Amino acid sequence: MNFHSLRKIVLCVGISLTSACVTSTVNEMVFNEPIEGIGDSSVVILGRRHASDYETEPDFVACVSDHIAAGDKSITMIGELEFLNALYPWFEPRTAPLRPVDIERMLEREVVAEKLKALKLEYIIWLDGSTVRSGGSGSMACSLGGCFGFGTWSHDADYEATIWDFTDQVTVGHVNATTSGQSYMPAVIIPIPIIAPVQGTACDGIGEQLLEFLSSEY
Amino acid sequence: MRSMISAERRRTLSLATLTVVLVALTTLAGCGPVKVIVDGDFPPPLITPLPVTLGLWYGDDFSKHEFFDEAKGRKESSWIVTTGAAQVEMWNSLLTGMFTKVVHLKNKPGPDQNPTAVDAVLIPHVEELQYAIPAHTSIKVYEIWMRYSFELVTPDGEPIAQWTMTSYGKTPTAFLQSDQEAVNLAAVMALRDAGANFANHFTDVPGVQEWLQAKGVVSERATR
Repeated sequence: MNFHSLRKIVLCVGISLTSACVTSTVNEMVFNEPIEGIGDSSVVILGRRHASDYETEPDFVACVSDHIAAGDKSITMIGELEFLNALYPWFEPRTAPLRPVDIERMLEREVVAEKLKALKLEYIIWLDGSTVRSGGSGSMACSLGGCFGFGTWSHDADYEATIWDFTDQVTVGHVNATTSGQSYMPAVIIPIPIIAPVQGTACDGIGEQLLEFLSSEY
Repeated sequence: MRSMISAERRRTLSLATLTVVLVALTTLAGCGPVKVIVDGDFPPPLITPLPVTLGLWYGDDFSKHEFFDEAKGRKESSWIVTTGAAQVEMWNSLLTGMFTKVVHLKNKPGPDQNPTAVDAVLIPHVEELQYAIPAHTSIKVYEIWMRYSFELVTPDGEPIAQWTMTSYGKTPTAFLQSDQEAVNLAAVMALRDAGANFANHFTDVPGVQEWLQAKGVVSERATR
């Protein structure tokens, strides 16, 4: 066994030991898929921020958007903040359209219609949901000599993506991802966090389904 | 010999005093209020401007607005949230895009002021600001709520319309994000919401509606 093989094994064991397990379920229901792709049109992913007790995380929205852009470089993804600023104040939580039919009313404003035409927007994808910490147990004591103990906690993520066809002003699909995972932190002098990538798995799950919908290559 | 000992003792004493003062200052610094100076980028609105020359006057209560919340217990911190500069930045950006011309006035409009070449003057006030952090609510969002009042007056100070408006902003907890950063983000969201609320409802305010009709101004909203 040479040094490189040994290094690979150590790396694999290290990754396995520092990653906790995640359970994930992804459901999708889509219609009118653009079989030949979306051409030079663009897509924007926006977080829904109407609920009072949670907020769709901007970094989750960016993660899904990046996943699609990385999967098919021909798809033009508009950044969430860039879109919100360009269309301010018409996509703020107070003013954002709640149903596809509301787009028509928005397009009655000439400057808004012109801006959206310039952006070549074809799909608006709304992401709604959040990741929450659902419980924890264990105890840890730290002193100058180091930390000793064991802690565990779990995270649950539940997100739904709703795809609006901007041209036809209809909903053309829903993708739902539910993931949960348990993270651990044993400590013998040094605490070693073994984090379950709950939000990242939900991002990959939704991103992959959206990529299949939007891309002609998948 | 005595003077040498006494000089050395004095040096030791002053070093000890300095150490005690530094430790006390460090400890007290941790007990001070949490300060947030709201800072954000506010985009211009995508709106067809109303053909109105609007005068704008910010009082000190508005342009230097600061909110102070004193800690209610030993486990809580006092908070100072300074929104004045951000308020001025947001409202300047919004109103410049909403009206064909905006004139910043140096003095509050009144009968003793020289008439200014504006159609009306807008005077905004922040009446109230409330905030909530996860430690207060056990919900993992930071929230800011504001109540504004507006006066629209003629250049010589005669009232045209007066109304109130609320705005709300929230932001989720995030990894490696401090309470100050999160409150700042929530305040920026609340300011953006204030702009959205104002832009969407300005022409619906009864007094404003009558005034615009009298001036023969037809808003985009009214044409629908």
